[in-house]
Amino acid sequence: MPQEKELGQGQGHQREHLQEHQQGHKRDNNHSPFQEDNYTHNIRKNDERKLDRRGFMKTLVGAAGVFAVSTLPWGTLAARELTGLKKKAYPKLKIADIRSLQVGDAVEFAYPGEHDSALLIRLGDNEYKAYQNACTHLKCPVFWSKEQDEMVCPCHHGIFDARTGIPTAGPPKRPLPEVLLKQESGAIYAIGVKRYEA
Amino acid sequence: MKRSYLGVLLLCVVLFLNIICTQKAVNAYYFEHYRTVIFYAVCNAMLFPIALWIYQRERDVQ
Repeated sequence: MPQEKELGQGQGHQREHLQEHQQGHKRDNNHSPFQEDNYTHNIRKNDERKLDRRGFMKTLVGAAGVFAVSTLPWGTLAARELTGLKKKAYPKLKIADIRSLQVGDAVEFAYPGEHDSALLIRLGDNEYKAYQNACTHLKCPVFWSKEQDEMVCPCHHGIFDARTGIPTAGPPKRPLPEVLLKQESGAIYAIGVKRYEA
Repeated sequence: MKRSYLGVLLLCVVLFLNIICTQKAVNAYYFEHYRTVIFYAVCNAMLFPIALWIYQRERDVQ
């Protein structure tokens, strides 16, 4: 019996709604069915439209701007390197007398700083090559192997070509930085470090 | 209400290109390929106006 009573009340409500609609009464939108042709009645703007499609697109445009700005310093540094405004000055350093160096011999020295270990190799009668001998893989010292005619990094068996400094085997990917040499009054001098072309 | 997600997709592509360009630029810097660095930096900078244009186009359509 109480069920019937409630049902009766519900029907009564519906009837009231219908009557209100028929009479053209305006009602709030929080009831169903409502009359307004409005698709956004149920969107609480404060919560649900925080990141809508347009907001998301704005974020993406902003991110593109941030990326654009973030690479500008790299571009500027690269341009500075290319224009040669930041050319380094290297000291002139005597490495060894030619007389004390046989063909196939190597001399270890430090250039340009006292902790930058380097290696001078006499490859022929008038052929000298010098490289900074920190392996380009993990900075182990590279040694000259006269028998194999190549430069060897013992840590991970990296091998460099002594004539070009280019890695021929093992993990290193970049060539050794070449030290520029000058022959003067029977001695070999280091005058600079070549930027390696990787 | 008809929705077009073309702008969102295009902007996602632009952002993807941004990420690639940034990574390539930084990598090229460490390998001392300075021309490549400048190329990618310019690409990255050009992508921003493109993104802005895509956004404005999508907004004005509605």
